[in-house]
Amino acid sequence: MIEVQNISKHYQHGGKSVAALDNVSLQIASGEIYGIIGRSGAGKSTLIRCLNLLERPDSGHVSLHGEDITRFDERALQQRRQRIGMVFQHFNLLRSRTVAANVRFPLELAGGLSPAQMDARVDELLALVGLQDHKHKRPSQLSGGQKQRVGIARALANHPDLLLCDEATSALDPETTDAILALLADINRQLGLTIVLITHDMRVIRQLCDSVAVLDHGRVVEQGKVLDVFLAPQHAVTQSLLAETGMGQGALQGIWRQRVATPVIKLTFVGEPTLQPVLDKVGREAGLRVNLLSGTLSEIKDTPFGQLLAGVVASDVDVSALPAIFAREGVRCEVL
Amino acid sequence: MLDFDWNLLLDIDWVEIGEATLDTLTMLGVSMLFTVLAGLPLGVLLFVSAPGQLRARPRLYAVLSFLVNVLRSLPFVILLIVLMPFTLLLVGTSIGVAGAIVPLVVGAVPFFARLVENVLREVDRGVIEASQSMGARLPHIVFKVLLPESLPGLIGAATVTAVALVGYTAMSGVIGGGGLGDLAIRYGYQRFQTEIMIVTVVLLLALVQGLQSAGDSLVRRCRFD
Repeated sequence: MIEVQNISKHYQHGGKSVAALDNVSLQIASGEIYGIIGRSGAGKSTLIRCLNLLERPDSGHVSLHGEDITRFDERALQQRRQRIGMVFQHFNLLRSRTVAANVRFPLELAGGLSPAQMDARVDELLALVGLQDHKHKRPSQLSGGQKQRVGIARALANHPDLLLCDEATSALDPETTDAILALLADINRQLGLTIVLITHDMRVIRQLCDSVAVLDHGRVVEQGKVLDVFLAPQHAVTQSLLAETGMGQGALQGIWRQRVATPVIKLTFVGEPTLQPVLDKVGREAGLRVNLLSGTLSEIKDTPFGQLLAGVVASDVDVSALPAIFAREGVRCEVL
Repeated sequence: MLDFDWNLLLDIDWVEIGEATLDTLTMLGVSMLFTVLAGLPLGVLLFVSAPGQLRARPRLYAVLSFLVNVLRSLPFVILLIVLMPFTLLLVGTSIGVAGAIVPLVVGAVPFFARLVENVLREVDRGVIEASQSMGARLPHIVFKVLLPESLPGLIGAATVTAVALVGYTAMSGVIGGGGLGDLAIRYGYQRFQTEIMIVTVVLLLALVQGLQSAGDSLVRRCRFD
């Protein structure tokens, strides 16, 4: 369990004090993948650096498994950091070292292993990220995705209990992004490793995270399970971030209201009903005919979900009875 | 130049030229060694103590930086004279090749240290941050990150310093330091022996060219791509 309690951080900028983080609190369960999303300048980068104290908050506490690391002295903190992996947007590999030597670097820092043990551990890690064949190359000879795999192997070297990902896929193309996200999901499953990531991309949250916090101007404006936040975003920032990934509401709703002006219903499917012909079934039973205005069908992690906006063209039953009928099929229906 | 008698080249005292070459190489080699030994740590200290850096000590940095600037702004000829008592104390003589090495080092160390500081500033901030995130302590960062990552730049800085030192050695004649530059001034300039001037200039040119090529090829060999 990771607990961030009321942390604030200010920067002096041109004689003024600017709040990068304003009284932020988070609770991150062990073994989960926790995403922090926000636009640039929202304070994401500062927040993730407060988790290993690369940035020291002005006030507040950060505890990892019950230990308040803000009270650690420098030496204890350095020791603790050896078991907090961090992966960076621009990889931050040592150009002067080969792939294997980069992965070996944190082992050298930690000490305690013989050279032979270190080599064995390096081979193990390179196999985990699928880079056995690139062992002796320099970072400059690798693609972006391969560099990030080295970064991940390096971050895992000392058996961390927490992995921090600082925009780990933001410098990668979409395909490579998917591969890296799949690798992170794999690592989370295989090692039961807690992962905290920051991103500005809702797709990353959707594909990978269990929980999410939305950060805006240094404040957490919304947090919860990814499914809940995606299906019922409360804050305007969350809604606009979702809209950018094509998951927003609206679409034809405005035009429908202007020109047709019959009721609009929102149907939310989670899990099994997503895979059933619910709309067809209810349509036959209740004589419901609809025109689809917008819709999303996708999965969040491994849960299929869908959300449809539909304009009611005709219905044998009163529109206000529809929620109960849909509820029987396990679908939430709201009349908008 | 047109009515220069090329036969004069045959009369040159090659033994003296040889000795002067050896003196120059000795002064260069020994002073370069001590310059790196003292300048590298000083450069690292300047880098890490600078405001906003790994061990920011703004006051220490200001003092060091000022001293470096003072030494760099003194013309080398003045440094040679000013340092005579100090040289005498340190190596037992203030003249000759041995006497020249102390001022050469004192002149070159601040120059090299400043170059080192600038080279270290070019190391990717993200890489330093990454090593901090892995729990690296300052000595780890210096020896495993800063110095290896900036090796090509450091070799480049050493090359520039060595070439500057060749220029400084020419002035060591003022305190009887000897060497090729001194020969050029005494015979070539003061006694109008143009042939000596030509030979020494050619040798100095070859030396500088050699240093630069050697430095460049080392840099090429240890580049990381």
